[in-house]
Amino acid sequence: MIRITQKMAPAEVLEALRQANGYYITNTARDMSQSDYKNRILLHTDLMAAEAREEAGYFSLEITGGASIHVDILRKQVDPFLKLKLLREQMPDTMFQTLCRGVNLFGYRPYPQNVIRLTVREFAKYVDVWRTFDFMNHVPNMEAVFEEVAKAGKINEPCICFSTGPEHTDAFYVKKVQEILDVTGPEIILCIKNHGGLGTPKRIGELVDAIKQAYPELIIHYHGHNTDGNDIGRIQAAVLNGATIVDASDHSFTGFYGPPPILTVIQTLKDYGKTAIGINEEAVIRSSDVIRDQRQYYAQFEAQIKGFMPTVQIHKLPGGAMGSSLEQASKGGFLDKMPDILHKELPKVQKELGNWWSVTPGSQILWTTAVTNVLEGERYANPSGDLKNLLLGKYGPFPFYQPADWIYEKAFGPDWKTVLERDGGIEVIDDMDIDKERETLAGKLDKEPTDQQLVTYLQHPNDAVEFFKFEEKFGRSYVLPPAIFLRQGGFQLGESLVFRDHDGKEHLIEIGPSQKDEDGRTNVYLNVDHSQRTYIIEPEVQEGAACQETLSKGEIEKLAKIGDIRAPFGGNVYDISVEVGQEVKKGDQVAILEAMKMQTPVISEVTGTVAEITAEIGLAVKPGDKIMLIEPAADE
Amino acid sequence: MKTKILVANRGEIAIRIIRAIQELNYEAVAIYESPDKDSRHIRIADEAVWIGDGPRSDYLNIDKVIDAAIHSGAVAIHPGYGFLAENPDFARACEEAGLIFIGPPSDVIEKLGNKVMAREIMAAAGIPMVPGTDNLKPGDEGLAEAIAFGRKYGYPIMLKATSGGGGRGIRRIENESELAEQYTIARSEALAAFNDDSVYLEKVVVKPKHVEVQIIADKTGETIHLGTRDCSIQRRNQKLIEIAPAFQLSPELNEEICQTAIQAAKAANYFNAGTVEFLLDDDGSFYFMEINTRLQVEHTVTEMITGIDIVRTQIKLAMGKNLLFGQEHVQLRGHAIEMRINAEDPQNNFMPEGGKTITVYHSPGGYGVRLDGFCYQGFTIPEAYDSLLVKLTVFGWSWNETVDRLKRCLHNFVITGPKTTIPFYLNLINHPDFRKGQFDTSFLDENEQLFEYDEQTSEVNKLARLIAEIHQKKQNTYAA
Repeated sequence: MIRITQKMAPAEVLEALRQANGYYITNTARDMSQSDYKNRILLHTDLMAAEAREEAGYFSLEITGGASIHVDILRKQVDPFLKLKLLREQMPDTMFQTLCRGVNLFGYRPYPQNVIRLTVREFAKYVDVWRTFDFMNHVPNMEAVFEEVAKAGKINEPCICFSTGPEHTDAFYVKKVQEILDVTGPEIILCIKNHGGLGTPKRIGELVDAIKQAYPELIIHYHGHNTDGNDIGRIQAAVLNGATIVDASDHSFTGFYGPPPILTVIQTLKDYGKTAIGINEEAVIRSSDVIRDQRQYYAQFEAQIKGFMPTVQIHKLPGGAMGSSLEQASKGGFLDKMPDILHKELPKVQKELGNWWSVTPGSQILWTTAVTNVLEGERYANPSGDLKNLLLGKYGPFPFYQPADWIYEKAFGPDWKTVLERDGGIEVIDDMDIDKERETLAGKLDKEPTDQQLVTYLQHPNDAVEFFKFEEKFGRSYVLPPAIFLRQGGFQLGESLVFRDHDGKEHLIEIGPSQKDEDGRTNVYLNVDHSQRTYIIEPEVQEGAACQETLSKGEIEKLAKIGDIRAPFGGNVYDISVEVGQEVKKGDQVAILEAMKMQTPVISEVTGTVAEITAEIGLAVKPGDKIMLIEPAADE
Repeated sequence: MKTKILVANRGEIAIRIIRAIQELNYEAVAIYESPDKDSRHIRIADEAVWIGDGPRSDYLNIDKVIDAAIHSGAVAIHPGYGFLAENPDFARACEEAGLIFIGPPSDVIEKLGNKVMAREIMAAAGIPMVPGTDNLKPGDEGLAEAIAFGRKYGYPIMLKATSGGGGRGIRRIENESELAEQYTIARSEALAAFNDDSVYLEKVVVKPKHVEVQIIADKTGETIHLGTRDCSIQRRNQKLIEIAPAFQLSPELNEEICQTAIQAAKAANYFNAGTVEFLLDDDGSFYFMEINTRLQVEHTVTEMITGIDIVRTQIKLAMGKNLLFGQEHVQLRGHAIEMRINAEDPQNNFMPEGGKTITVYHSPGGYGVRLDGFCYQGFTIPEAYDSLLVKLTVFGWSWNETVDRLKRCLHNFVITGPKTTIPFYLNLINHPDFRKGQFDTSFLDENEQLFEYDEQTSEVNKLARLIAEIHQKKQNTYAA
């Protein structure tokens, strides 16, 4: 009955877990942030809680991975490596845990093998426990990560993704565990990844029992979400049936789609005679108390729809995707269509596409397909690039059954069988020339990048460069509390802002008056450490308005008919599939746009020759922006 | 009707003089060219006369300036510094028009303005001189003279245009082959710039200090000094920072230099305020450079340590009064430093920032702080003139107190719009050698790190910029 610490070797950790008379707890702070706050909990808040969380004695703190690395650089403006380094300084004993999407790493589609290995190597310097999953439960998709984690001397925690339905039997999962063990060997922790919070406590209890019966020495870590409000029940059943580690988080921040409160888990299981090993209950409570006051600043990121959602058992959206899905519905103005999408279309699409696991990036494919089906009025009329890739088996083989032929026909036309034969099968991605990428990045930064900067860049090239530029311009802004960093509506005149910078030096900034000059620039007067400074804010360029007329959907379609290809929606240019001078046929894919994590092909409406390409890969485009010009062939 | 005095200048020095005129209960007449129509010197003068579109040509036009004085009823003209201040023709034109020229008589300006003539006078009076030649003979004969001089005294040597001044028309020659090359070029450039192709040579004193003495003489020939100034910190022979008294001189050497200055002034029959400039070698020997026959930019530091208003004294002497105080009344107390805050980018070779508008102007104040400036919030710096915005002069009892006060003032100075020399000065006064008073004319060249600063980009300033954006945009667009 010992507390597990970061200083123990993996073998010692696994031995302690096998000897455990009781259970351990992982604080899934990252998953709570992602599920209930759109991933926006700032490092500042995590640092506030660090001391108490360290004392609380968790098995691990799940603090990185999932979508958080992207959001770290995109919206939190914090270096994902610096974050881990600073937390490690405050929390020397607690193991750090990540969530890795296997071949998809921390992104949405497969990465080259050498990028995967480099990324794991760099993060493994800070991350002790690697929870790795694949949304198709396709074990080969996780192998590279397993290998690198083992090489780095860290703990592998492979997942079986869990869902419900007639195919999701104990026998299926027990066999899946064997597939994993065949690759990893027995020195692992197995995670039952219940990202949707699906199934009843009884169902989870049976599954844990079935796996334990088959592999008595295997350590099981149960991960769930509280979307239906019943995850405490599932945790209880898991532990009583032999799970050794469970997930929960700080009660002062628990919401509706993330983990349940740690303290409730402890109190409930205590009554069943189960002890939370290494846990200091007073420190668990203190972790919540020290950050409670900060929650108000994150209100803007909490879900548009409040309350538990037992209907998750129908739509199966993972907790980590609830916030972004609801936000998309709210911004897209289709919140009213949510019952149709969630309770009718989504379950239908799931079954049609194979009833595999609704988790990234599969959950995005299901969601986008369901939304498009409902909003466009015609089902599968405009399949996304990712859906096509899924149908072609590029993510992996379908675990239970292949979708019906008519869906293939919708996606690939009458010749779909030829297409499937020609392009089908798992995608083999060539290694990337990493030295060349390093050079490219050096050119963009005007200096030699660090290995960590390179790794961040390889995950999300454009966003990483933007982040590095942000840091250059605004410094290390993680030092700002959410009350400042996330302030809405501006500050009060005369308001005093106090914070400590990266070097620990305290600063005081007082807000002075603002004044607009004739060019539309605003002079913001601030008293910075008692000396008056002025900051000139350039007027914001009115998006689209000043520089060009926004085109309507109809206009964009009309232009496409004469070969003037415009962006049909806002997003990033993911790929240009043709070259100037190339002949294209009507219906050929000429480019791929990416938005909302999904790729959508841009199709030529004419047969002709590519005359000019205006857009470039990586460019952010607004609806109506020029992509390319195709000179229609004479006989058209 | 009150007595009127015309100020034949612009910018901060026009204001400095106007203030003295008004304090003497006279009226000040300003003149201006069109680009200066928003200049503050016009606003505070009692009267302002537009003299033309300029730029510069009308301030330099003797007839127009004299005409403005006569038509406004002024009895005297103060020329300030630059423009017509050291032009003997202007002083003569004033004399001929019956106007009092506030400065020395035209013949004094003339002979001291001619470097060779000045050297002759000083040499005759026994003033120590840097070894040098007379005007070189024309053509190859002159070149031969030059080569002989170089062989006798060694290199480097300075090749100077006789009619040059203020740092212009000077070139440094490192060896004999360079001399042959530069000789012809220097002559043709001097001809083009000063309408006089005479040149002469001077030995270079390596890493000298620039020390000068403020002198004042009345019409009776009574001549006193107001102590020394150190103007060693220069860029391209243009002064940036001036200190009074010259720091770290022994009292004996200080006195010797001052007495030599008085001797030099007397040798030239000097009248009114002037400055005798010396080069000080590190072995304590010093050499006469020139006498500036005008009010100096840096006169403020001397005023701070003596309590004597030099401009007021200039006017009174010119209006016929004799000196009301003798040398024994002059007491030097404490230290003063003046920094020229210019609208320039030190990191870009001090490129002028003319044409930019000052969006914010907050100046420091308090004990021991003096500002001589002319710009204000909303003022667009004319491109046509020099880039001096304001002179910051501070006084303190001890050297350290003075430097600390200066530092405080530089920190409190906020000028946005144009880039200024302020961040560069902050670097400079934090330099340990400056603190110790160890600097000579090579200081800037030998300390390139002085130019390494990040304007407004300390970590807290970066964060403050983000806070300013969050504030102005009503949300953090980088977190939205």
